[in-house]
Amino acid sequence: MFHCISFSTGVSLYFLAQEEAEVTTGIDGLAILNQLLNGFGIVGVLLLTGLGLAITFGVMRIINLAHGEFIMLGAYVTFVMQSTFQMDLLLTIPFAFIVTAAIGAVVEFIIIRRLYGNPLETLLATWGLGIVLQGIVKLLFTAQLKYVKAPAYLSGSLVLLSDSSGAARVAISYYRLFIVLVGLALLGITMFLFYGTSWGRQIRAVTQNRDMSKCLGVNTQLIDMGTFAYGCGLAGIAGTVISPLKSVAPPMGQDYLVDAWMVVVTGGVDRLVGILAGSFLIGESNALIAFLLNDPLARVIVLTAVIVLIRYRPEGLFTVQKRV
Amino acid sequence: MTNTVLGYKQSTFPTQLIVISTIGFLMFAILPFALGDFQLSLVSKLIIFGSLAVSLDLVWGFTGILSFAHGVFFTLGGYAAAYYLKLNLSASANNYGGELPDFMVWNGLESLPWFIAPLKHFPIALFATVAVPALFAYIIGYFIFHSKVSGVYITIITLAISSALTTFFVSQQAYTGGTNGITDVSRLNFFGTPISATGIYFLILIYATFVLALSWWLTQSNFGLILRSINENEQRIAYLGYDVAQYKIFIWTLSAALAGLAGGLFVPLNRFISPVYLAVAFGTQVVIWVAIGGRGTLIGPLLAAMLLGQVQNSVEKVTQDWQLIVGILLLVVVLFIPSGLMSLLPERFNLTNLSRPKPIEPRIPSEKGS
Repeated sequence: MFHCISFSTGVSLYFLAQEEAEVTTGIDGLAILNQLLNGFGIVGVLLLTGLGLAITFGVMRIINLAHGEFIMLGAYVTFVMQSTFQMDLLLTIPFAFIVTAAIGAVVEFIIIRRLYGNPLETLLATWGLGIVLQGIVKLLFTAQLKYVKAPAYLSGSLVLLSDSSGAARVAISYYRLFIVLVGLALLGITMFLFYGTSWGRQIRAVTQNRDMSKCLGVNTQLIDMGTFAYGCGLAGIAGTVISPLKSVAPPMGQDYLVDAWMVVVTGGVDRLVGILAGSFLIGESNALIAFLLNDPLARVIVLTAVIVLIRYRPEGLFTVQKRV
Repeated sequence: MTNTVLGYKQSTFPTQLIVISTIGFLMFAILPFALGDFQLSLVSKLIIFGSLAVSLDLVWGFTGILSFAHGVFFTLGGYAAAYYLKLNLSASANNYGGELPDFMVWNGLESLPWFIAPLKHFPIALFATVAVPALFAYIIGYFIFHSKVSGVYITIITLAISSALTTFFVSQQAYTGGTNGITDVSRLNFFGTPISATGIYFLILIYATFVLALSWWLTQSNFGLILRSINENEQRIAYLGYDVAQYKIFIWTLSAALAGLAGGLFVPLNRFISPVYLAVAFGTQVVIWVAIGGRGTLIGPLLAAMLLGQVQNSVEKVTQDWQLIVGILLLVVVLFIPSGLMSLLPERFNLTNLSRPKPIEPRIPSEKGS
């Protein structure tokens, strides 16, 4: 895992890889490195998809099972913008954010608001909402797979190590790097919003003591709506950024839902940084186990590990133990 | 359960229950004479799904554990039955003539794996149909319910289990048939004679009656009262000295066993089983039946599963957007009719009252001083 941290400094990585290559007769070390880089790509996706959930679940305690559908909506916004206005993927990000956040606000107003303090009902309602959103998108765009183009300047890959003939030995695609960067940037922005602005202070006040905040003149209903909408907007951005990796289709969100939950549960929602740690742990362990065994088994093992983790530490790995 | 709850009538012999089950059973017993083969197999399937919904209702409606994993228990039972039927294909019906099922041959297996081979024998297969899901559920239950994990996390765990097992079954192609599952199984035989569609229908009907009667009896008893109390205030029940975890594990395992048996009956009817029934989507379907029918009503989920299945069958001829309709229905029920469609029935027809023991009339203390 420490290999990964040193990726940001290309030079040290080069020597590290060189050394390892010499020690372990070449191929193996490089293969593991490549696999870790693959894992780095997974980490980016997990970070992006988990972040929105960290807001809606972590901050507001809303069990949002429609999270995957908001990701899907973001991807469809990008698809529409690209196919009608030939827009660059990067430029569609604000639209995806605005549209999904607006839908999130409406959903909060119509559905979530009635169910506060009732987590199982919320879970059921958001699951129903997910089915409805899928159904509506299917009505509008049909179930056909849609494709979104990644920007040309993000194609190709960053070659970290090449052999004598110039063929890439260790490389990561620019788009994977881009995903990780977007994830980190959004994490940074969110942390700034939460810990550096008056809106964030109000959100934290409401989560700590709703009645007291109300007494002090905080419009808690507006805060709830805004926070939920923001979480959904982040899911929308995730959808946009992820969309070129696979095809865009109504059920695509389901794939990301379980993973996003696993990240949030692993990292814990006490602090937003937990999400980064959670996605790093899950993404890299997934990649490593997949290298040793195979992909499906890796998924099974990681999911099992997370189940065990929930059993013993439902508050997440990276949460400071509170006295109850 | 020898523990009694004070203030409530002891459950007596359930006369009313038996009368109603008999009437219901007789009504369905006439059906094969009125329906064609296709309709009959559809009704059989719906009854199985209905019983599955009842088994979920036991844990969700009564005990408050929302599980998306009931499709998993159902499918585990289904696979046990499918292995039995597949291994008993006569050599002439088997394209490869050998002992080995076709999908194992395709995937290069040389001999039957030790954990599948015993399923060739009917008693073992029948036992496995119930025991495998029950054991799996017991392990999960033992693991989860002895902790302080709250309801929502349990639901997320069931989601993860369902997701993980689907991936696992799809990946183990040589043993499970991968995405296709186990297809082209033999018919269910009774000492050499194949059982007809009507026969299977009656088997299923008997099973459904058994499930319903058992659940009714259980929930009407003091044991059922404790389950209901766990749902309402777990902590208080624990303070009263009941071991909440034991109760939860018991009902969870029982429910899984019933679901597994449903799966075991589903395979002879449907003639195949595949990871589709393992996936979260099918688990959701079961949850939706219970939610729409009415939690804690037993008969509600059964009816909801059968009616929705029937409606789905006709609607899907017209439109592809059945799921959208179900989603809207679920949202409306959760938001506006939280106790399900059964609660809309007038009190008289609400059979749920049967399973709710009436409190003993409190003795009014004579007024002071007079």
